[in-house]
Amino acid sequence: MSENTTLRMEGILKEFPGVVANDHVDLSVERGEIHGLLGENGAGKSTLMKILYGLYSQDAGDVYFQGERLDLDSPQDAIDAGIGMVHQHFMLIPRLTVAENVVLGEREPATVFRDDAGEESWLPASIRNNGLVQSLAGTFSLGLDVPEQRIQELADRYGFDIDVSAKIWELDVGQQQRVEILKALYRDVDLLILDEPTAVLTPTEAERLFESLERLTDEGLSIIFITHKLKEVDAVVDRVTVLREGKNVGTAEVSSVTRADLAEMMVGREVLFEIDREAVDLGEPVLRASGVSAEDDRGIEALSGVDLTVRQGEVVGIAGVSGNGQKELAEVMAGIRDPTAGELVVSGTDITGAKPKRFVENGVSFVPEDRLRYGCAKDLSVMHNATMKDFDGAAFGDRGFLDYGKLEDYAETLVDEFDVRGVRDVTETDAGDLSGGNLQKLILAREIYRNPDLLVANQPTRGVDVGAIEFIRETLLEQRKEGTGIILLSEDLDEIFDLSDRILVVYEGEFVHETTPAEADRERIGLEMTGGSGDESASDPTASPAEVTQESES
Amino acid sequence: MVSFLAGLLDATVQAATVLLLAGLGELISERAGVLNLGVEGMMLVGALGGFIVTVVTGSYWLGFAAGIVLGMLLALVHAFLCITLKSNQVISGVMLTLLGTGITTFFGSAWVEESIDGFPQIAIPFLVDIPVVGEAFFRSTATDYLALFMVVVVWYFLNHSNLGLEMISVGEDPEMADTMGVSVFRLRYLAVLIGGGFAGAAGAHLSLAFSQLWVPGMTAGRGWIAVALVIFAQWRPRRMLVGAYLFGLLDALQLRSQSLSLTLGPDAPLASLVNPVVEFLMTPQIMGTYPYLATIVVLAYAVIRTKSDRLAVPSALLQSYSRETD
Repeated sequence: MSENTTLRMEGILKEFPGVVANDHVDLSVERGEIHGLLGENGAGKSTLMKILYGLYSQDAGDVYFQGERLDLDSPQDAIDAGIGMVHQHFMLIPRLTVAENVVLGEREPATVFRDDAGEESWLPASIRNNGLVQSLAGTFSLGLDVPEQRIQELADRYGFDIDVSAKIWELDVGQQQRVEILKALYRDVDLLILDEPTAVLTPTEAERLFESLERLTDEGLSIIFITHKLKEVDAVVDRVTVLREGKNVGTAEVSSVTRADLAEMMVGREVLFEIDREAVDLGEPVLRASGVSAEDDRGIEALSGVDLTVRQGEVVGIAGVSGNGQKELAEVMAGIRDPTAGELVVSGTDITGAKPKRFVENGVSFVPEDRLRYGCAKDLSVMHNATMKDFDGAAFGDRGFLDYGKLEDYAETLVDEFDVRGVRDVTETDAGDLSGGNLQKLILAREIYRNPDLLVANQPTRGVDVGAIEFIRETLLEQRKEGTGIILLSEDLDEIFDLSDRILVVYEGEFVHETTPAEADRERIGLEMTGGSGDESASDPTASPAEVTQESES
Repeated sequence: MVSFLAGLLDATVQAATVLLLAGLGELISERAGVLNLGVEGMMLVGALGGFIVTVVTGSYWLGFAAGIVLGMLLALVHAFLCITLKSNQVISGVMLTLLGTGITTFFGSAWVEESIDGFPQIAIPFLVDIPVVGEAFFRSTATDYLALFMVVVVWYFLNHSNLGLEMISVGEDPEMADTMGVSVFRLRYLAVLIGGGFAGAAGAHLSLAFSQLWVPGMTAGRGWIAVALVIFAQWRPRRMLVGAYLFGLLDALQLRSQSLSLTLGPDAPLASLVNPVVEFLMTPQIMGTYPYLATIVVLAYAVIRTKSDRLAVPSALLQSYSRETD
């Protein structure tokens, strides 16, 4: 144990009914380092950090921070010890201002009662410094002037552009995260825990965050950075500890390991970053959409007369920057959003404007973008969710009565075949209790096991860990071999390239470019996605796609 | 006409005080995330308890205090059920209203015949001489003045004190509050108890100042109106003041309308058509439904507005909280 060690967690054990979330985990963090905590969804990273922050209490094990043993009963204890945490889901109250959110719980009294007010207060110091007056003022008054100044100073020092008197809802996601960090800095923390901080950020915002983190560690702060993205480990982390199924599988200097090593530590086996895609003969068209237009939730046209044909055994990848009509396109194709114009023919039947149920009956399956809100009923059991689309079929009973035994068997089959982990009992475990990757596998299982003619998958691997990503991609390709036509919408270009037979680029509700992975030119696609005109490159005869590809690779 | 207006305003102030006290209490409780549908029951318990203590001791201030304490006692049951046991807030609240109604009807029957010297009217010199409004607003009972003062206190408390900020945070996002070292458990208990105290005070005002006698079921649904008022007020104390006076006016209209004739003269055009309608609308029984009709309108408005998400509902209203369940 080096002298520089600031945090030591030893033999942490935490059990939830039926699951060991942390199985005697050790962790040590050095002063001024960014320590990565890497693991798949459900590996126990968040649990370990919630113990460190006093939100959970461990069943066994000790926490030593700056040489002292900590007894953490509540977050207040952690804050007092100098530990701050930025949670994955922001802990901010949208209706309150930045300053109010930051000082909450700090009991800042009105300025006249501050013990450090000096000349500014008309109250004599002897009254102000009285303990009873202090405590009363801290409870029944609230002064934001001095705190606002301090917060602004902190923000300036670390280059955060934040208006301290703005309401949280007025800020964008990146700014909200900076407020979260300010909350910790305001409390003079020595150790900052960041729980998957980039999950909600755009790549540019993530870059900015990484820069801020380096400035913080320069000032002697230690940071624990929870993530399941290997790219981020390379980008910011100094040392990394990998958790798998609640156990510590090792700590390493990032400079001395490769991504493949880390992935193997995380998943427990070799991870294939390259996928073999066999050639499949295309069959009859399963979807013929022509001239389809649709509006978004605000009633603004989001899709302007697009044509799309998908054939049996074909994966059509749709690339584009988020918000260019992908969501509406997916929903129209899945039948849950009515098009304002155009027609949809699925497997030879015109079902334009039909109810979603008709789409389901016609063999359309849908993996929505937001799995918690639209992909499942999170308070219902795994069994209910697994059978949600098919329970009224003849297989599960007749004349309005359900055969629960059969429903249960069916759900168990799905859970086994699609390797959905974290399910104790299909009738007891709620879908909402599954981790992101496992929930996504369950949704995919439900949509694919019914052998659809057309599968619409919107961001199927967003926010899930590498093991699950690999599984989901393989499953999609297997289903392609069965003759299902697949529409894959993804912001991950690699995913589009690896899986698609044909690539369409969507920009402002229209397809602006069509290509195949073999012929595709990434730079051109990137340009088309952002509305950089395709005409320019067409008018320039020297910039043929093949040449540009070579340049970008060299 | 002037005397009618003065009388109407006077009755409005008295009726509004009941709604104001009960509404402010409910507002605090809801801002901390706990819906209290037991207001009606707590008001009745406060009304009877306050009345009995006043009869026995002869002191209406002691009676008023007893009303507050009894309201808090009943609220303690609500807090225990909803916060500690995490049971359904709606069911617990309705149950407490039924319980309060039952208890007071049973124990109150013996006290119906009693009479007391309740809160006297206090005139504020000079101000009371203002025409029309002077008598109504500045010759009132101590509880009327207290209720108005409480609007300021509650407003200050929620917006300009640490405890108030913490209470709001608990009603918006208890998990967030917890991570900031704020005790969700303690603050919600406190808010529910304060709410119960206010409801008890509203009941005591009703029996000790407003009517100065005890009748079983005398709150007549005012507790429910207070719950609706919180929505009308968008969870803000200052709007609560407006709402309470508006609903108080509807209540007062019913009492004072007998002396008012709104029918058209027999020669006026359409008199034969309009007069029966006006007469029907002015029937005391029909007028008695106005506050409740207004409540329905407010609630319908609230539901429609909720869809546009602009309503200031505390985000964690009705949600119980415990640390290790997520």
